[in-house]
Amino acid sequence: MSTMEERIRDAAREYLEQEKVTCVIGYERSARGVVRPAFIYEADDVERLIWGEDCNLDLVTYLHNFKHPPGRGVPIPKVAVVVRPCDARALNLLLYEQQIQRENVKVIGLTCAGTTIRGEPRTACQFCSERVPVVYDVLIEADGEIDVPAVQDEYADVQEMDDWTPAERLSYWAREFDRCIRCYACRQACPGCYCYECVAEQVEPHWSSIALELPEKHFFHVMRAFHLAGRCVECDACEAVCPMDIPLSKLNRKLAKEVEALFGYRTGDDPETAPPLATFDPQEQLRM
Amino acid sequence: MTSEERFEPKIVGFLCNWCSYAGADLAGTSRASYPQNLRIIRVPCSGRVDPLFVLKAFQDGADGVMVLGCHPGDCHYQQGNYFAQRRYALMHRLLEFTGLEADRLFVEWVSASEGKKFADVTTAFTDKIRELGPSPLKREQEVLEQARQEVMA
Repeated sequence: MSTMEERIRDAAREYLEQEKVTCVIGYERSARGVVRPAFIYEADDVERLIWGEDCNLDLVTYLHNFKHPPGRGVPIPKVAVVVRPCDARALNLLLYEQQIQRENVKVIGLTCAGTTIRGEPRTACQFCSERVPVVYDVLIEADGEIDVPAVQDEYADVQEMDDWTPAERLSYWAREFDRCIRCYACRQACPGCYCYECVAEQVEPHWSSIALELPEKHFFHVMRAFHLAGRCVECDACEAVCPMDIPLSKLNRKLAKEVEALFGYRTGDDPETAPPLATFDPQEQLRM
Repeated sequence: MTSEERFEPKIVGFLCNWCSYAGADLAGTSRASYPQNLRIIRVPCSGRVDPLFVLKAFQDGADGVMVLGCHPGDCHYQQGNYFAQRRYALMHRLLEFTGLEADRLFVEWVSASEGKKFADVTTAFTDKIRELGPSPLKREQEVLEQARQEVMA
């Protein structure tokens, strides 16, 4: 029996040889052993593709590179992308937001047993009960059975912080945000962050100075989290790429928890339902 | 500031042009008094108040932020306040999670005929902020130094 890795390569080879896509986006390992996105244009190159538990990037992000025609009169390129279950939700989000067209994307879905960040299992994976992507064209199934953990309290880690006093939380976040070097890697890795001009870099209006000071860092992180309120799929790509190890997933998970409690909504279940902040219900009365 | 001096908070109010701003106007013409701590910014609709405005206000030294809009169903643009309601319900929880007291952001519906209500909510909010003291974001650097020393000890 072939391994998952080999089956991903077979699927990629088939797409490229039949010229159904011009590019396959998958994971590869750099010379130094770090996982990075791979853009495969030739069927001979598919051997570069890998799969492992440290594949913690969200490759749907890179579909933004293929959403425009490369030139006048040239059609939008068709691409194939390797997705984990959480990434598939991001795909649904981008379909809802009309960033990509379904017919231009071939989805190589993976059943996923959870990934790691710097050797540690991801928090979201420990609570994840979804092992098959919500959308795929080809499904690459895992070799063995995947144990789905019995989820008691999905947001226990966030709840713990909710019980602190505001002063304790500020002290915690001041220490975490202080490490930020404002490299914006979290923004670049996120499938939901695709503004042409980011608020963090906008000059007119000048929302935030480029100073490397705590207030600016605080502003940036709260702003980034809020722009993903009800849109974040908890793929944790932001946390995976953060060079300073800031627990960004805590902010995202807090908002996911509140969105679920207030609106009963989970991002990316299907490409038709509007995220909660893009719609409203005249009947509802929310506690502020 | 000596101990006898009362803490005067800086409060920024985003008021919808059609209801709350007119409500504030009515409070003035009907001689209802409200605290001078409020800096009013007129916006076309409570739906126009980007959460960035609120964040920026806090970052630039506001001790409290009010967002006042039309009552549900009364929006001049039919739906702006419904969007605002959802947005601020979440924004509240995020600000609270990142270390700001939840009471520092206040969202209320005030119509053009509610001059008295405008004066009342503004007074109540100002009193609450006065009780809470200056915004912790203004001394975040101090909080950080203190946290560092605790870690070292």
